[in-house]
Amino acid sequence: MIKLIGALMVLVSASMVGWQISRTYVKRPVQLRALLVALQMLETEIVYGLTPLQRAFFKVGQRVNKEVGNLFLSAAELLEQGRALSAEESLQKAMMRHWPQTAFRKQEQEVLASLAQVLGSSDREDQQKHLRLAVTHLRGLEEEARAEQDKYEKMYKSLGFLGGLLAVILMF
Amino acid sequence: MLDKGDKEGSSMQEIMAILPASVRSIITALPSTVLEVLEEIRLRQNQPLEIRYGQQTSYVTPAGQITSIARQGWVFTQDHVVKLLNQVSQHSLYALEEELKRGYITVVGGHRIGIAGKVVLERGDVKGIRDVTSFNIRIAREKKGVAQKVMPYLFEKGNLQNTLVISPPMCGKTTLLRDIARQVSYGSEWSSSRKVGIVDERSELAGCLQGVPQRDVGPRTDVLDACPKAIGMMMLIRSMSPDALIVDEIGRPEDGDAVWEAIHAGVAVICSAHGSNVEEVARRPMLGKLIRHGAFSRYIVLSRSRGVGTIQAIYDSSLNPVKRELPA
Repeated sequence: MIKLIGALMVLVSASMVGWQISRTYVKRPVQLRALLVALQMLETEIVYGLTPLQRAFFKVGQRVNKEVGNLFLSAAELLEQGRALSAEESLQKAMMRHWPQTAFRKQEQEVLASLAQVLGSSDREDQQKHLRLAVTHLRGLEEEARAEQDKYEKMYKSLGFLGGLLAVILMF
Repeated sequence: MLDKGDKEGSSMQEIMAILPASVRSIITALPSTVLEVLEEIRLRQNQPLEIRYGQQTSYVTPAGQITSIARQGWVFTQDHVVKLLNQVSQHSLYALEEELKRGYITVVGGHRIGIAGKVVLERGDVKGIRDVTSFNIRIAREKKGVAQKVMPYLFEKGNLQNTLVISPPMCGKTTLLRDIARQVSYGSEWSSSRKVGIVDERSELAGCLQGVPQRDVGPRTDVLDACPKAIGMMMLIRSMSPDALIVDEIGRPEDGDAVWEAIHAGVAVICSAHGSNVEEVARRPMLGKLIRHGAFSRYIVLSRSRGVGTIQAIYDSSLNPVKRELPA
């Protein structure tokens, strides 16, 4: 009986591990989508609303999903209190703080970091150009992420379950 | 009247908030006697920091000491330029396009920062200033009650007169206009309170932040912030039916038409122009025409002969000195 319960536990936990790994493949495209929406809102705020960066960050941060929104909210906060921080430094700092909570990878970080360098420091047309460039990059990454999701999401789920099953069979 | 010390403190705080830390620490180290009368902070790339206070100008050493020797002055570098621009624009240079076109930026509290540098043209028009290298930070101080002395001259049989304030730069023209607006709006011993409309193209008169006046311009005052004067005057007459219109620094031909239009719409217009006396102002085409046609029935001439805001003379439409109207 105990053996049976133990086998069941091994099976369940192995499936959970597989499911956990597959989740990161689901989350990344969702968050990428949110980041894309955020950048498009930022473009509207900057190019049409002429909203100061700090307020624009705040507005955008409130309207997109939590993991991505936190990035902008804390950048807005840093800009407000740390008068010595530049826009770039604030965004970089916010990214360092919140990156682990997101499903993003190095490529996204590079896109955002290069956007941070120019954000707020040129006229409207130039801002628009850079924002659109970042959006294009992220679109590419989003497609890639979706392809990965199709490929690996199911695979890791089954792998977890089957791995567990294998362990159980070997134990018996 | 509010406590003067308190007011002075807040306007200095607003200035401090936009300065990068390096400049801030030097300005804070200035002797308090200088800080109290500080009028301008001038910053030029690779040149020593210059201040203008009271009637004097001087350089400032890194320790916050006043000096007349340029070599001892603290030098403003390119790095500081970037930081100051960041602070002034709240890290949003794109939001300052209009301001960069006009050559000055108005910040919280109505302080004005003049800028100069490399101008970028687009089809012959100024598109903006790209490499900003010079800043002139002018500290706006609200002096309530400065209009007290001129109020008795602005009325004739209880009617507010069309008035032109003539003054060279830095003589307290804007401060006087603001206080006139406030006194007319609150009402004084010479008249009951009236509806006042202010067209504040440079955001200096009311010092609006997000449309809300930061200076006390009275309870019955409507402000069109950052609006071109000529259009603004017509908009206010149509939309807010003011009894008095207050406009700073008129000069363009269309401003003249708008003043003319307003006067004939039964609105008292109080405006200002750069110049040191009536004759000089009358030589300018638009203002000359207004003066010759008797648009204004009061001229107030300001100077600095006895400190900022000295009232040199007050004339009526035929340029005779005006008698004081007794309280109603």
